[in-house]
Amino acid sequence: MLDIKDLKSRIGESEILRGLSLAVKKGEVHAIMGPNGSGKSTLAQVVAGHEDYEVTGGTVDYNGQDLLELSPEERAREGIFLGFQYPVEIPGVNNAYLLKAAVNAKRKHQGLDEIDAFEFLKLAREKMALLGMDPKFLNRGVNEGFSGGEKKRNEILQMAMLEPKLAILDETDSGLDIDALKAVAEGVNALRDPERAIILVTHYQRLLDYVEPDYVHVLSHGKIVRSGDKTLALELEERGYDWLREAATG
Amino acid sequence: MKSATLDIDRLREAVRQLPNRGLAPSREAALAHLDEHGLPTLRDEDWKYTDLSPLVDISNRWLHAGGHQPTSADRPDIADAIPGSIDAIWFVIADGAVDATPIGHSEARGIQVSRLSDAPPQFAAGRPLADLNAALRQDGLRIRITERLDKPVGILLIDRAGANVGVTQSYIEIEVAPDASADLIEYHVSDGEQDHYANSVLTLNIGEAAEVRHVRIQNRAKRHVQTGRTSVVPGRNAALRMASYDLGGALIRNDIDIDLGQPGADVSFDGLYLAGDGQHIDNHTRVDHRVGPATSSQEYRGILNGKCRCVWNGKAIVHKGADGTDARQANHNLLLSEKAEIDAKPELEIYADDVKCSHGTTVGQLDEKALFYLRSRGLGKNHATRVLTHAFAADLVQRAPVTAVTGTITDLVESRLGELIEADFIADLLT
Ligand SMILES: Nc1ncnc2c1ncn2[C@@H]1O[C@H](COP(=O)(O)OP(=O)(O)OP(=O)(O)O)[C@@H](O)[C@H]1O
Ligand SMILES: [Mg+2]
Repeated sequence: MLDIKDLKSRIGESEILRGLSLAVKKGEVHAIMGPNGSGKSTLAQVVAGHEDYEVTGGTVDYNGQDLLELSPEERAREGIFLGFQYPVEIPGVNNAYLLKAAVNAKRKHQGLDEIDAFEFLKLAREKMALLGMDPKFLNRGVNEGFSGGEKKRNEILQMAMLEPKLAILDETDSGLDIDALKAVAEGVNALRDPERAIILVTHYQRLLDYVEPDYVHVLSHGKIVRSGDKTLALELEERGYDWLREAATG
Repeated sequence: MKSATLDIDRLREAVRQLPNRGLAPSREAALAHLDEHGLPTLRDEDWKYTDLSPLVDISNRWLHAGGHQPTSADRPDIADAIPGSIDAIWFVIADGAVDATPIGHSEARGIQVSRLSDAPPQFAAGRPLADLNAALRQDGLRIRITERLDKPVGILLIDRAGANVGVTQSYIEIEVAPDASADLIEYHVSDGEQDHYANSVLTLNIGEAAEVRHVRIQNRAKRHVQTGRTSVVPGRNAALRMASYDLGGALIRNDIDIDLGQPGADVSFDGLYLAGDGQHIDNHTRVDHRVGPATSSQEYRGILNGKCRCVWNGKAIVHKGADGTDARQANHNLLLSEKAEIDAKPELEIYADDVKCSHGTTVGQLDEKALFYLRSRGLGKNHATRVLTHAFAADLVQRAPVTAVTGTITDLVESRLGELIEADFIADLLT
């Protein structure tokens, strides 16, 4: 589904991704871990199409298409979803409006009619109930004044409505209380499907207890320095990153 | 810099052709005053950002073509001039000619209407453009509101800029009696695309404990030049909510003067201006707090795209002894293009002790983070830009004090923003 080969990317003067390769097949769940500043969010943003990050080398293939040729909106319509580490507050834009516009942009791309207003509300309420979100959040400005945890739930709500083929969740588990973590994990598990793939960027084993990954990778200094199965996450929890960092730079 | 001057001799001839001879003495006096003082130039502090030569040029061309003002105002169709149907009692000033018969509701209880020519006023020297208005006005509309109205009163100002260059003056006096309450709509449009200059004067006197909600919409054609002065005198404990929407025109200059001479008054006035290529929109506001306690607050917002320039100058003067004054002003601007220019200037002069004053101005670009966030959800760049600019204007649209026009304003703002961004989008494709 997603095949990243030797990806290099910079922002301004600094090179952040330095030859990163990663292959994700449909049906798989990958976890990406790694120290602060190692480039995890950069990877997520590059895949989502952020134009501030300049791609200086490598290729990204998404279901047979050259992903780097597509605009951010085209990527989204083709089924890529990025759950932001820092969801953006957009005062004055109604949450329901964004959800509906996003759903309709995708439907239009698929040649479908716009979603019926009643149908949309029903669906949104259903998904919100699943995530333990008050329906009142529909009528608020996008993330406006939301608490940290509420923002993360809102990302998962968007994901649930859009049913992406490839979801990249950038630290969606950070800053969540236990109930919220469970709700988010349920949201992710509900999306698990042989046709879909999920990439979880996380610092903690906790989320991985609920959403079991097929593969765990460690990103350090802009490269994947170690890959393994779920036991790698447990090992990292115990040993930290230093032993790997030495391997990467040495 | 030497700016062009009005051809006073031809102006005098144009004044002599005007109907309603009862207004002749005040016209002559205004003309003499104007002749003596001239029009403002860029050297005047209040006019340093706004060059009036387009207006002088249009006026002189009009004067050379005979300086005629159409007087037989056949009634324009309100429904054609204003999108959406606004349920209001309408009056029409077409090309400066006053129609004092209400449209829409034949029974207009609580409203007394007359023309200026029914009881011609004495000339009182004013600002130069007000003098020009007094010299050239055909007539004026006087409205007195004596009750708590349940329907808005609308005034449609329409200028037919069809075949020839034109110049028109409108004059409106509104008086709201003590304890009365009124929703007012002032709607400026063009019929035709030719060069046209319209100059308006509106005075609004609000009686003790009366309440007024006033919306002004300016949606003129592309080559229209407009200057206007709104002078408001609120009475004791009077409440005023005013909002102004500038969407069209080439050169627009609005002056608002609010004179708070009675305690207990509470006024707010907001403004939204949307400017694209070739537009110049200048808002000058002035509030005089002469006594306390009284509250004034203003918020102006602008969205600018392409080669255009906007000016916001908000002056608040808290005079000696006006203790208990609360004066707030804010001006926020969103610049979508590097070619757009804004001059934003708050001016506070405080001579009293116990006052609360605040001001804030911001000039910013579109929030790139928000733009990417929306695009990452599948919204096209154009759509996302529209959503964000709309959000920037949304507060002022929703706060429109006359609810009967909220829908119309929403539609107008939406379509004007669409034009502004579409133009940019096309420019993007071409470069
Ligand atoms: N806009 C930017 N300008 C300059 N440097 C940047 C920018 N964005 C990211 N970086 C730098 O790139 C490096 C990688 O950042 P990134 O956000 O990808 O790290 P991360 O692995 O997600 O870290 P964390 O675990 O803290 O979220 C950091 O050193 C960061 O400072
Ligand atoms: Mg990160």
